[in-house]
Amino acid sequence: MRQLAMALELAAVLLCSGCSRQDARLEAHKKSLESLGATTKVIAEAWLSGDVSGTYTRTALEQTFYLVEQERARLASTPEMLQDRRGATLSQDAEQLSRLIASMIGDVDTANGDAARQRLASLPIVPQEQP
Amino acid sequence: MSAIVDLVLGVVTSIGGFVEVGSISTSAQAGSEFGFQLLWAVAAATIMLAMLVEMSGRLAAVGKQSVAGAVRERFGIHFQAVPLVAELVIDVLLLTAEIGGVAIALKLLTGIAFQWWLIPIGLVVWLVLWFSGFAIVEYGIGMLGLVTLAFVVAAWKLGPDTSDLAKGLVPTMADHDITRYAFLAVSIMGATVSPYLVNFYSSGTIEEKMKEQELWVNRTTAYLGTAFGSIVAMGVLVTSAMVLEPRNILVDSYEQAALMFVPTFGRWAIGLFALCLGIGCLGAALEITLNAGYVLAQVFGWEWGANKPRRDAARFTTAFTFILLMALAIGLIGFDPLKLTMICVALTVVAMPFIVLPFLVLMNDKRYVKEHTSGPIGNGFLAALTIFAGFLALIVVPLEIIGGS
Repeated sequence: MRQLAMALELAAVLLCSGCSRQDARLEAHKKSLESLGATTKVIAEAWLSGDVSGTYTRTALEQTFYLVEQERARLASTPEMLQDRRGATLSQDAEQLSRLIASMIGDVDTANGDAARQRLASLPIVPQEQP
Repeated sequence: MSAIVDLVLGVVTSIGGFVEVGSISTSAQAGSEFGFQLLWAVAAATIMLAMLVEMSGRLAAVGKQSVAGAVRERFGIHFQAVPLVAELVIDVLLLTAEIGGVAIALKLLTGIAFQWWLIPIGLVVWLVLWFSGFAIVEYGIGMLGLVTLAFVVAAWKLGPDTSDLAKGLVPTMADHDITRYAFLAVSIMGATVSPYLVNFYSSGTIEEKMKEQELWVNRTTAYLGTAFGSIVAMGVLVTSAMVLEPRNILVDSYEQAALMFVPTFGRWAIGLFALCLGIGCLGAALEITLNAGYVLAQVFGWEWGANKPRRDAARFTTAFTFILLMALAIGLIGFDPLKLTMICVALTVVAMPFIVLPFLVLMNDKRYVKEHTSGPIGNGFLAALTIFAGFLALIVVPLEIIGGS
């Protein structure tokens, strides 16, 4: 009886540590993607206010796109992540962010500030700025 | 008068030459993730570097031996093999990262992919080393490197709270991501206490023919130059903390790091950041290439010297050319400059005990430093640093795995 209790206890601990590891991973992915969303916002705003050139904006958005895709691939590298509702939502948001950055690169190429401004308003993953 | 000119030049060029790919990336990441909390790591690494640089200069001025040459002579090739291989591996990888840093700077300005710039930059590095002497490499690039003071100006203009800055100088535990915090603290030390700096400084002291009577110049240059130089690295950290952290931007690329200048310098921001990164990395690339030549020549007893005609130091010239070609080859295979930099700083930490340990013996050997042996403070510091370096070397790999990204 005592052995069974211990086995159950061990299983519970292992299950919890598995859950918390998954939680920690999800949190890390979320943080990375929020950072990339915030980066996209700051780059686009700087371009719209004329502080940075189109050349830099294109280069920086391309690099951000590449990093989002890398993060998305990492997020979707195990089925467990996508089985988790939070992971699935994050993956969808990341895909949307990728599409939005790709469109924004097009806006920069055509110097279409209005379109970029509209896209900026619909960024899927942007954290609240700290005061 | 000449000693005072040397001193001023030495301090000024130390400031201009302090910031390179390692310090920019580690300080920018530290600031964006932990605010001012890791300022103490920059300060601690600066003290370590200043003391090691002063000792290597003293060894060179008194014993007319570079660190690599003295270690070879005192400990023999069997011991020397370990630090030699470690230093050359780190030099090659770090050189690739520095060339990558210059290439990224050019990419920021032109939009042309950084891989296209690797060979032209390698060629510029080689041509500068082929056609110019030590003074151009050390003072010329160091003077140009004063542009990196822009980080200090940016930090100053952003108006950080002085009490918050002071708090950052006191080591505290992070309230989140403790392993990442520890990894960045160790990485800052690895980026600051680079093995190439120590041997390059001692070789430079010999190149400049510093005399025993000028040891005060060496001491003042080492301490003042390193201290002022570290203010630039702190400027990177503070600017990053004030601009990127509130916006929740973590530095995963140099394109993101460049944004830290936008609030202060507006439309000059990206150009200025590219200039700081490009010149800082070019200076370091020149020094690392030259240092690899120095180390190989000094260990194997070849003729060496950046001021000597190339045909008189043919093997030294071939050695640095070969190291440069190896770095370019790695670069052309493909790499992420920021990730490679973080790997280099971790490797530096692993090799740190082998760099520090010989000093403990050499600085107490009268055959090398005559009556200028280290006192109780210097020896105590070196003993503590050796133990600390050993501890860091043990923890850096697990930290890289858990907290590296």
